[in-house]
Amino acid sequence: MLVVSPFEVLSIFLMSILAGLVGAVFGLGGGILIIPFLTLVEGVPVPYAVGASIVSVVATSSASAATYVQDRLTNLRLGMFLEVGTVLGAITGAFVAAFLAPRILLVLFGILLIYASTIMIVGRRVDFPSGVVPDRISRRLRLGGEYFDPATGATSRYEVTNTLRTLSISGISGIVSGLLGIGGGIIGVPTMNLLSKVPVKVASATSNFMIGVTAAASASVYFVRGDVQPLLVAPLMVGVVVGAAVGTRLLRRTPPLRVKLLFAILLVTVSVAMILKGFFPQIVL
Amino acid sequence: MDLNRIVAQSLRVGVLVSAVLSLLGLSLWALGGFGSVSVPVVLSVGVIFRLAFAGDLTGIVYLGVIVLIATPIFRVAISSIYFAAERDRAYAGITILVLGMLLLALYSGAAG
Repeated sequence: MLVVSPFEVLSIFLMSILAGLVGAVFGLGGGILIIPFLTLVEGVPVPYAVGASIVSVVATSSASAATYVQDRLTNLRLGMFLEVGTVLGAITGAFVAAFLAPRILLVLFGILLIYASTIMIVGRRVDFPSGVVPDRISRRLRLGGEYFDPATGATSRYEVTNTLRTLSISGISGIVSGLLGIGGGIIGVPTMNLLSKVPVKVASATSNFMIGVTAAASASVYFVRGDVQPLLVAPLMVGVVVGAAVGTRLLRRTPPLRVKLLFAILLVTVSVAMILKGFFPQIVL
Repeated sequence: MDLNRIVAQSLRVGVLVSAVLSLLGLSLWALGGFGSVSVPVVLSVGVIFRLAFAGDLTGIVYLGVIVLIATPIFRVAISSIYFAAERDRAYAGITILVLGMLLLALYSGAAG
């Protein structure tokens, strides 16, 4: 049985506000912050940390997605199309998790993240190029869209391209999500932005939209397994909703290129941490 | 009705219900003097409902977790109904495929 003090519940609640905020702004679930906090600071056993985290990922993404969908920032069609890849990947990941050495996985994930950070930094000056030609699938499924950005005061029309490659990478991010108990937005956002040429704010909003579905599949597995502790998950479910409410307002006001730069910094930090953990498993990150 | 509004509302309701249930659970814990909390060995929707309506902390928080996990799945289901009603075959097919995979994951998760 897990003994939790009122002070621990309070600190988890306060930290989850930050996780919800970061998750809402960058299109992540926030698991990348919650898991290290629970294991390192609170000393929670890893399965319970992952179990609580994956449930709160569903809360962060659903709370922020509600606002972004209402604001018409989310590309619903693109999200629903790419979910075919993420959900298939998440289920595959959950099944093959038993046969893969976690260390190899972490190093591979770290390399993938460094690749994503590099292209994010190289492409940091342009949010989305004009004159993008949609491919056949994109035209057939009418994936392009438009959005209004309150930070720039402009409505922009964008096209979606490289559809099949983006779908395959969504599949890979789904696998990683199923294996590691995270939402996978950290791969999805740069992929949609740099490969499919979707504006970064739309990519973030659409990622939040997709993550809820991916994480719900994994969360149910952890829940049935008994890894979701009520006193860990309750403060998280409340805190991330508060954080997401602040985060969605913050994204509305932030210029897109600043979102990209901050995302790149976050990416580099996470990839270094992942690779370190892969090489030195005794460090709990 | 517009799909954006249906999706946004269903997500919002699901998240708020789970947050309120979590707060209720935490309040009960505080009223009970911050004691240790037990988790039932056998988890089923029936057990959780029974515990929740008996005013048990774990039951109430778990009911919130169930509502939360069901929220995005409900969102996919309602989208597929919307696309089917709009006779948008491609997207009705896509959403039904995703829904099928999710239900399969739920079923295998519950079975394993």
